[in-house]
Amino acid sequence: MDQGVFYLVKMGNKLLIILIVALIVGGGVFLVKDSNLTGNAIGGSGSGKVQEVTLGMKNYNYYPNTIKVKVNQPVRIYLDKSVVGCYRSFTIRDFGIAKYLQSEKDYVEFTPTKTGSFRFACSMGMGTGTLIVE
Amino acid sequence: MSFKQFTKEIMGKGRRVEGELVKTILYSLLVSFGLFAILYFMKFRYIPDFIPKYGFFIFLIILSYAVVLPSIKQVRAYGNFVCMSGMMIGMTTGMIAGFLPGFFIGATNGMFWGGVFGMGVGIFMGVWNGKCCGIMGIMEGLMAGFMGGLMGAMTAVMMINDNLRIAGVIVFGISAVILFSLNYMIYFEMKESRKESRGDYFTIAFMSFILSAITIWFMVYGPRSILFG
Repeated sequence: MDQGVFYLVKMGNKLLIILIVALIVGGGVFLVKDSNLTGNAIGGSGSGKVQEVTLGMKNYNYYPNTIKVKVNQPVRIYLDKSVVGCYRSFTIRDFGIAKYLQSEKDYVEFTPTKTGSFRFACSMGMGTGTLIVE
Repeated sequence: MSFKQFTKEIMGKGRRVEGELVKTILYSLLVSFGLFAILYFMKFRYIPDFIPKYGFFIFLIILSYAVVLPSIKQVRAYGNFVCMSGMMIGMTTGMIAGFLPGFFIGATNGMFWGGVFGMGVGIFMGVWNGKCCGIMGIMEGLMAGFMGGLMGAMTAVMMINDNLRIAGVIVFGISAVILFSLNYMIYFEMKESRKESRGDYFTIAFMSFILSAITIWFMVYGPRSILFG
């Protein structure tokens, strides 16, 4: 008994530090395991007709700011000339899209391979909208 | 030499308050993870994609509070500081305690709510810790909390379409180093003085509980969490 107490005192805070590390590793594995650290999800190529969408600008945001597209079918997004400044730096994080569309002829093209709602935005997140893949 | 002594104290081989900091971190983590576990099994597990959306940020905010709170324990133990130290204490605590919550709430709820929340936590903690040297420390805590909260939220929002999560890890890592340096600075300044009070762990556990509960609630059910989550 005395030896046990002596050993614990000698260990100082080592035991507590081991406990803290175990807690952080355990919690981390549970909470972080399914997270996508880089934020870029998928690529992939689909087939079929290209779905073309042109976005404008209204009330300091993209308009329309909800777009519906079909899954596994290429999507091409243009920004018309009403879209100005940093709003022309267009991103869809979940599909790894980040491109500066200099003119209204420039576009981003990708093929959504999963259904759901995804956020599109300018690079600073000031203009936002939702891409619904059905 | 004194750093070596400081690490010895941290490891619990001395008799000063620094030996209690490790225990403070452990209690904070236990309370926060315990609270999260209860909330998860009662409510959050029914939210689709809960862990991929919020798990990472919740993990980092729990760690953040665990590294911020020991400085409160240390400062409360010594009680009074000279103005120069007190200002540094108020500034560091306010800045980091504002920046980290601001960053993680900003990442899940946008600039406005991240800024407001970060400023609230930063100013509260900065003033609480800064009052150890009187009005100058309080002022420093106020200003640093205000600035840290806004900056944290702003940084997160600007990173949303970039490597936000990796930035979160880097920001947390740097903040942890700064807070550890603050612990050392307090030890260095006060190592000749007699420690005034041991205090208890209830305040730390209570603060961890309240801060974690409010932050997790805000991340998941905040006004703009649907858009940013």
